[in-house]
Amino acid sequence: MANKLLKKENIGKLIEALNNEGSVFVAPTNPTSIPPLKKGDTGGFVVYAPVAKAEEIMFDYIIPRNSFKEFLFPQTEPIAAFTIGKEGVDMKGVEVNPKETVIFGSRPCDAASVASLRAVFNWDFKDEFYNRREDKAVVMTVACTKADDSCFCTTVNLTPDTPNGSDILLRETTDGYYAVEAITDKGKKFIERFANIFSSKPQAPSLQPIADVKPIAGIDVKKIKEWLKDTKHYENPLWQELARKCIGCGACTFACPTCHCFDIVDEGSAYEGERIKNWDACQFEFFTLHTSGYNPRDTQYKRWRNRFMCKFNFYPSKFSSRGCVGCGRCIRVCPVRLDITEVMEEISKL
Amino acid sequence: MENTLRQKAKELLEKGDVKVVIGFGWNNRKTRTTPVFITKPEDADKLIFNPLCVNNLSLYLTRKFADIKALGKPAIVAKGCDIKTIAVLISESQLKREDVVILGMVCSGVVYKQELWKGVGTDFKSVPTDIMPTKCHNCDVRNPHIADVVVGEKTTFMPPDVPSGMVFDKIRELDKKSGAERWDFWIEHFNRCIKCYACRQICPLCYCERCIAEKNMPQWIETSAHLRGNLAWNLKRAMDLTGRCTFCGECERACPVNIPLNLVNQKLALVVRKAFEHRAGYDEKVHPPMIVFNMEDQEDFIK
Repeated sequence: MANKLLKKENIGKLIEALNNEGSVFVAPTNPTSIPPLKKGDTGGFVVYAPVAKAEEIMFDYIIPRNSFKEFLFPQTEPIAAFTIGKEGVDMKGVEVNPKETVIFGSRPCDAASVASLRAVFNWDFKDEFYNRREDKAVVMTVACTKADDSCFCTTVNLTPDTPNGSDILLRETTDGYYAVEAITDKGKKFIERFANIFSSKPQAPSLQPIADVKPIAGIDVKKIKEWLKDTKHYENPLWQELARKCIGCGACTFACPTCHCFDIVDEGSAYEGERIKNWDACQFEFFTLHTSGYNPRDTQYKRWRNRFMCKFNFYPSKFSSRGCVGCGRCIRVCPVRLDITEVMEEISKL
Repeated sequence: MENTLRQKAKELLEKGDVKVVIGFGWNNRKTRTTPVFITKPEDADKLIFNPLCVNNLSLYLTRKFADIKALGKPAIVAKGCDIKTIAVLISESQLKREDVVILGMVCSGVVYKQELWKGVGTDFKSVPTDIMPTKCHNCDVRNPHIADVVVGEKTTFMPPDVPSGMVFDKIRELDKKSGAERWDFWIEHFNRCIKCYACRQICPLCYCERCIAEKNMPQWIETSAHLRGNLAWNLKRAMDLTGRCTFCGECERACPVNIPLNLVNQKLALVVRKAFEHRAGYDEKVHPPMIVFNMEDQEDFIK
């Protein structure tokens, strides 16, 4: 269905049309308020954020620092409001009515993570907060023409132009346009809705080559899963060794497009307040602390092991979607450079 | 330099003087440095030292790392700036001087972030000044000031009399602004906080067994990443480091959303220096001013 073309100069029109309808347009951008890493460096910090005009979009980027999961599963989200009076507690649920959110410039790995989030938020309980947001989201992915040394999508069997999870897949052409392919019905309808913005493509466009991301030799995801499944490896001293340097922050989990754990807290006064859902991280010491005082994951390696198990064993065993999409964010943001692919290599060797 | 370091580490492990050497090594692809824990003499060759060795490894000497403590007495590869933190840890009774062997590295500056070392090559003799953090430009401990062994040839580098560099420039710029403007500046930055607590976890001086951010009966600091919660967390973190922070810059380096935490910490350090004539990390026998009572203390900074 690669029969349309999107000109970069038409993106402004698309944003305007969407904003006029009350929709949100999210794209890779470099907020000017964020200080550069060093003098003269402006490209180091690209994030997915709502933009009001095309000039705010960064077209030259590898991958934004954040994943776009915050637009489907906000970091902090009120789910109920309560008042406490003489007659007791009055609690009202928050009805979530999200705006249509177009995520332009998603990367294929990020798009692939949507299926992972959907799986976990619909596994037993149907999470309306997530589902309604995802239903209103249109994922417009741009296939990668560049990668960095943390990218490892091909190692987890994805590609820099994989269509999984995208509603629309865009491929950059050599003359600076996007070749447009509708992947889902939602994407098709979106293109039809903005027929004046997506122009017809006369002939086969000349596409830019996609990024050359070589699978890391020596990593075998199937083998890792089998090794992890074998419970006798759970207490292997290797875990302690591999995760010794982990400092227990939540940078990896919060940057991760598939990490989805949250905590529920009440905030407010003694008389009224809100019940709020906040991102939580299995890397935090108190994540598994029981009321009794017992903590089954009492040291950091056990917490790190859990995250790894979640990605490569629990998740693929429970759902058909993947736990890790190979975006490499956890590697980029880790303050101690605990590289998940090095652990994958180590376990593949066993 | 690396050879001397490896040789020394090997000796310490062979003799059994230490059970673990906490140092820097390469990642598998030799593109980034990463903390390593050497327990066998034959692994000492994995140790490296170059301008990519940005981490302040003294973090691993704190009680947050019980499993590293369990390995036995450590030796640590430390730059002068890292040694400052060790000095504060000692002054705060977190460890005794004799509990650690300090392998002090003569340093000619490191990079602000490892990913900035692009196309500079593998000759690590000098660091381009534009990718060096402010702390290195003003460093007066390039020759380690407290160490059991000093590795490397003595440097004659002298820091400028007036602190210079992006952090100090920015502080001076902010100082000129009105309170309302400064407030706006910080609100904008703290608003971005994602509450991952990387700043706390990477900080060698954040060693509380239970951080106030995790005390929830009552919840002193809201865990939500809304402005109220973010502001409360960042102010609390800054205040806790007042008079203690040695400007190692690890919090800012670790922050995944680039909050300029060095500005907060260094501003507070300047205030403490003026009020108490104290600079953290130079003498392990001197207690930080906030934990001692002194009748002579000035209070004119309280406004």
